[in-house]
Amino acid sequence: MGGFVATWQPLFDLICIHCILAYSQYVALRAGLFSLATAGFASVGGYAGAYLLKTLHWDPVVSGFAAILAGVAAGLFLSLPLARLRGAFQAIATIGFVQIMVSLTLYAAPFTGGALGLNGIPKVATTIPLIVVLALTIVLLTTINRTGIGRAFDAIRQDYTVAGSLGISIATYFRYAFALSGGLGALGGCLLGFNTYSVQPEVFGFPLLVSSIAAVILGGRASVAGPAVGTIFLMALPEIARPLADERLLVQGVLLIAVIIYLPQGIVDSLLQRYRSVKTRRLSTVAQSRAQEGPYGFPSA
Amino acid sequence: MLAQQLVNGVVVGAVYSLFSLGFTLIFGMHRILNLAHGAIFMWGALIGYFCVTFVNLSLLPAFVIAVLGAGVLSVVLDLLVYRPLRKRNGDEFGTIIAGIGANLVLMSIAQQVTNAQALRFPFGIFPVVFYRIESLGLRISLQQIVIVGTVAILTIGLLAYLFKTRIGTDARAVAINEQTSTLLGVNANLVYLNTFFIAGALAGAAGVILGIAFNSVSYVMGEPIMLQAFVVIVLGGLGSVVGAILAGLLLGVIQTISVVYISSELSDAIVFGLLFIVLLLRPNGFFAGLHTEHRAA
Repeated sequence: MGGFVATWQPLFDLICIHCILAYSQYVALRAGLFSLATAGFASVGGYAGAYLLKTLHWDPVVSGFAAILAGVAAGLFLSLPLARLRGAFQAIATIGFVQIMVSLTLYAAPFTGGALGLNGIPKVATTIPLIVVLALTIVLLTTINRTGIGRAFDAIRQDYTVAGSLGISIATYFRYAFALSGGLGALGGCLLGFNTYSVQPEVFGFPLLVSSIAAVILGGRASVAGPAVGTIFLMALPEIARPLADERLLVQGVLLIAVIIYLPQGIVDSLLQRYRSVKTRRLSTVAQSRAQEGPYGFPSA
Repeated sequence: MLAQQLVNGVVVGAVYSLFSLGFTLIFGMHRILNLAHGAIFMWGALIGYFCVTFVNLSLLPAFVIAVLGAGVLSVVLDLLVYRPLRKRNGDEFGTIIAGIGANLVLMSIAQQVTNAQALRFPFGIFPVVFYRIESLGLRISLQQIVIVGTVAILTIGLLAYLFKTRIGTDARAVAINEQTSTLLGVNANLVYLNTFFIAGALAGAAGVILGIAFNSVSYVMGEPIMLQAFVVIVLGGLGSVVGAILAGLLLGVIQTISVVYISSELSDAIVFGLLFIVLLLRPNGFFAGLHTEHRAA
């Protein structure tokens, strides 16, 4: 048992962290934002957290919160030009943002250690704190989904013209989504640094962008369970099917194409929809047979 | 010194323009942000490299084969990825995701083929000749002249195709309204294949040119130019041919000058900072796209 835990614990930790990063991506997509900025937010949070904890010796929890604040600020900053724009422009600009963060972290060597990154960060994000943080994130997102903000996100994602004509201020909700996505992305990046002892510019580059979007596309971008299922699938697959591990990128690419063509809502959302439609059909047949029966269960006329 | 850097910048910018032309063409025509365009570019360079090293072709036939090969690859991309998506009414978001996926697939295949090594064209594949213009203190290589010349010819060819041929007219009709033009007898699928072939061929040409100019071909070479192309098409306006050319040249000059006079690490940040400023002030870029260009005429 001890051997089992020791073998799988690092993977489990990484799954928790990548789940949070996938949630950062999820919040954006759920609100109908074409933001791919998660890796950039993770870079902001990862470096902010690591710098505060390692260099300034702040308390881990305080550093974590400061990292989240930095991420929220980055999200709000991005939303200035992008909340008014649509689709392709948001995608382009956010990919650009990820690239800017990589080159800025390379450049600002006195703070970020340049290409070597910051190393020897104390490992404060162990398994238990990670589980707690992930649980809190899920509770937060579930709560938001039940409020007016969640409904506004849904409306904008499903039809943005209708949402606008119903009086939903799209730019405002895009701003919320950017802030939330920024905060979660920074949290994920910060935890990654606190768990793996180091942060480097390339860690927060294009591969992270791809893996977090792949998790959300695969799992589904409406329900909260979607990104978690997608992350577990993507991270556990190479461990279970070893030959696939070398072809990780190829597998991710093929999965992305296949899922977006044949299962565009993702695994969890498609299953949920099927379940719901079966339930409504059953209810409607019950209602029909009730309607055919007269009062007291006798067939009418 | 400054004049020399301007020339160098224009040469690099010409290659950016060539690459961005296909990118902006696909977007302007079909509203597809083809994120696999960089991978097509990289494959063009690879095909050119293999033609030169393994088949022992000289540069010109290798260039032609690479251009055609990249065009065919781009068509295959449309047939296998974007067309199934269109059939199932995939939205803009779907095409972006599928493009990221296709990019990964093409890149990881190239990674295996090249063993993740940076490859070099054999020395002397292109004659090393320099011309001096003493009055300006300029030193221009034959290679630079050929690069700019090739880009100019291909651009004029593209414009002639779009505005002087029947299929080009069809293509612009599909760009404005696919349904109406299909009703009027335009074969929209053929237009898609055409656009993708031309865009891929232009990317392939840019790939070989850049591969020779920097003497390096690797599976990651598509990513940086893809990011430059983002800036180019935002500056020039998504879907504008003339905008892509001018913005590409401008970007090449800005980048070269910022590398020389400011810092090479910061040049990416400067270029993308420009992108954000343009998005903030003039999100539609400085040139009208294919849609508006000829609606009045």
